[in-house]
Amino acid sequence: METAHKRPNYILIWVYLALLTAAELGLAFRLPISPNLKLALLLFLAVWKALLVALFFMHLKFERWNLRIMAIIPLPLALIFMFAAMSEHVW
Amino acid sequence: MTHGAATVDLMRAPYPAERGLDVYNHKLGMWVFLASEVMFFSALIGSYVILRFGAPGEWAKPGIVLNIPITAFNTFLLICSSVSMVKAYAAIADGDQRGLKLWLGLTILGGAAFVGIQVFEYLHLVERGFTPAGIREGSELAELVAKGTLPAATSGLYGSTFFTMTGFHGFHVTCGVVSMAYLYFTKVLPGKYSQHDYRGIETVGLYWHFVDLVWIILFTIVYLV
Amino acid sequence: MTSVAATARVPHAHHDDRSFIRKYIFSTDHKIIGIQFLFVSLFFLLLGGVLAMQMRWQLAFPGQPMPGGGILPDTMAPGGVILPEYYIQLVTMHGTFMVFFAIMPLLVGVYANFLIPLKIGTHDMAFPRINMASFWLALAAGLVMFASLFVPDGAARAGWTMYVPLSARHDYSGASIGQELWSVSIILLGLSSILGSLNYITTVINNRAPGMTWFRLPLSVWSLFITAILGLLALPVLSGAAIMLLFDQVLNTHFFDTTSGGQALLWQHLFWFFGHPEVYILILPAMGMVSDIIANGSRKPIFGYQSMVFAIVAIGFLGWIVWGHHMFVSGMNPTLGSSFMVSTLIIAVPSAVKVFNWMGTMWRGNLQFHVPMLNAVAFVAMFVIGGLSGIYMAATPVDMFIHDTYFIVAHLHYVLFGGSLFALFGAITYWYPKMFGRMMSEPWGKVHFWLTFVFYNCTFFPMHILGMAGAMRRIYDPTQYDFLKPMQPMNVFITVSAYLLFATQLIFFVNFWWSLFKGKKADLNPWHDNGLEWTLPSPAPHGNWETVPTVYRGPYEFSSPQVAEDYLPQTRKLPTDREPASAPVAGH
Repeated sequence: METAHKRPNYILIWVYLALLTAAELGLAFRLPISPNLKLALLLFLAVWKALLVALFFMHLKFERWNLRIMAIIPLPLALIFMFAAMSEHVW
Repeated sequence: MTHGAATVDLMRAPYPAERGLDVYNHKLGMWVFLASEVMFFSALIGSYVILRFGAPGEWAKPGIVLNIPITAFNTFLLICSSVSMVKAYAAIADGDQRGLKLWLGLTILGGAAFVGIQVFEYLHLVERGFTPAGIREGSELAELVAKGTLPAATSGLYGSTFFTMTGFHGFHVTCGVVSMAYLYFTKVLPGKYSQHDYRGIETVGLYWHFVDLVWIILFTIVYLV
Repeated sequence: MTSVAATARVPHAHHDDRSFIRKYIFSTDHKIIGIQFLFVSLFFLLLGGVLAMQMRWQLAFPGQPMPGGGILPDTMAPGGVILPEYYIQLVTMHGTFMVFFAIMPLLVGVYANFLIPLKIGTHDMAFPRINMASFWLALAAGLVMFASLFVPDGAARAGWTMYVPLSARHDYSGASIGQELWSVSIILLGLSSILGSLNYITTVINNRAPGMTWFRLPLSVWSLFITAILGLLALPVLSGAAIMLLFDQVLNTHFFDTTSGGQALLWQHLFWFFGHPEVYILILPAMGMVSDIIANGSRKPIFGYQSMVFAIVAIGFLGWIVWGHHMFVSGMNPTLGSSFMVSTLIIAVPSAVKVFNWMGTMWRGNLQFHVPMLNAVAFVAMFVIGGLSGIYMAATPVDMFIHDTYFIVAHLHYVLFGGSLFALFGAITYWYPKMFGRMMSEPWGKVHFWLTFVFYNCTFFPMHILGMAGAMRRIYDPTQYDFLKPMQPMNVFITVSAYLLFATQLIFFVNFWWSLFKGKKADLNPWHDNGLEWTLPSPAPHGNWETVPTVYRGPYEFSSPQVAEDYLPQTRKLPTDREPASAPVAGH
């Protein structure tokens, strides 16, 4: 059972998600910026959208801290794996 | 909870030895399963990142092979279905059966449409010459390779990674649609969920949001980067 | 399980009117599922042994016709002489069957299923039907893998580690369908494992009896819990890798195809990222069960219970960042290699803590050397040897010389056989009465133990020496190299010991099967242990308890001054005990 909380405004979250998606599309095709910066910004926007879904739609913001930790644990593992294997190409 | 009453709060964890995570079994089971799914998609997506990072040449520019407008619409559709899913959850939490039926129905339709559009996209791509094994000889895309618009060295990898990642995601979406449809006809329509027990809705909702979340990442790093 | 309607579904011991099929074949009862895993896995253990016996023949007597080899087809062994193509299939499938279909299901499929609900005090797993699905998927995976032995062009043959491009390209390996079936089987097994893990994790977190706090859990449950987390997070990576391999084999994708931009090393990274947590999956449950058995056999509480728990958690955590030590000679980034060396050396520490704690448990205990205790103590000794050879391998400069030699083979068999398998012999004997209601024969158990211990060390210890001398793994004919010819008598010695070792296992198998029908009937608590399962009849009934028990203390209260007996069950209430903070929900 979640801790008692005011229900988030799902429609508002939906608007944010739509705006962020539009921003991504604009960024990908319009803005004349360096590819690395573009990549960083696109990833940032994608992660922001993912967080909105995870925290509000999946209610993680309102769950106990130990459930949040459980949900997060795979991520550092995935990142360690990726960066270790990518380091093969930079030595 | 310790008196011998007939009603028990199903939305709580069963006889707790201690407070723990405070979630009932189905929900905990689904979160645990989603952790494994994160690892699965990390293997596929991580491999894509590693392969692209270490690729022997340029990667194709976005939009040349893949159809961004249609997929952007598809992304929006999936996000909408995620919203309708959470609205369905909110409805049954308030005891609103009609709302549950409406919003869950919309979610199923949205998910099915997503899969349909993706199948259409796949067929179109294969027709143009884009396959998991790479660019097909003599196809429309092979001409782009010859012209140099599409790098030859990485086109095989591009096909392999694209179809595997989006294919497995699409498979997961399909499983989600089937599960929701199953629940819809066996439990939602007969009104078996109530304000006191809507565990199935919350559980399948978590799965659906996860599938949306994976797509948010996939769309960005496969189509836009 | 928590609604009024569901209470009626809670199985009651005396109202078990399920049909034979629902009771024993398509059962959702965790105990039956555990026993199903046991029978199937023992078959695969035997199969793995048979494959090894053939390997050992070829290594000791290269090119000589093998007795009984006449039944093999000419594509494998014309005139009974093992062909190189067949030899490498033996190597591959021995490893595959032993790791994936024998040891892992024996430790996890059997004991996680059987023990967890019994030891935490609940009626069954959180998701009984998913549990059943997990077994049938594992069986399907095993059958697919078994079938791959009989298909045209033969079984997979790139080693159980399936390195690309040998495994991905039919023109390199000579195998076609067999190779693909390996991938399919592993994908199915991965799914089975994931479903099992999510059951074990949910059940341990949510379904513990009142009073069964985290730090009153037996170490077998702790280790199975951490193992389940490892399995949950590692098997999906293997499944993903196997899918990519299958696609390379069948769909002409290029994940690992260096001619089209793919990366061969990517397979190794993926495989070992899974593979290292996998080896901890193969040892942690054994460690946990050994802890239970040693405390019981010493009639003393486990020494340093909390540090044992932290050691299990530390091993589980550190196990994720050491995978590169399998790849030191692969051509990987050397800086990355150094970081793996450091993390690998560190992971020895929690294992050492556990060894000292087992010794501390036995120190000045009232030692009872029953069969499980003998096996558990052997586990500790053999695991130490296996762990020490691991230190050699952790040091990258040393590993450069001993990688892919018999030194590694010695190490892995010391931890997997000397470790996990001895623990399993002990565990099977220990929990046999709770599974089947009878005791295994104690005298024959001792004969089996001692003979196994001697022949096992004769078989595997010389492999350290062989490896140091430069004998490589997986080669068909060691005598083709002049520098290995002087070592050939050692190969013969190993083979003879291996045959005696294999023959000795007949004693165990006969003991196991005979005792099912003729063993001494067991009472509730033949080992005078404290765990919850020992408060139930032997065998435990469907649904375990009518009403879930209440727990008042930890599981290792042996020789407690509070009572006259030398054991004090977790559920026994003494006048000085308080009720736990939470009580069961109505209906349980």
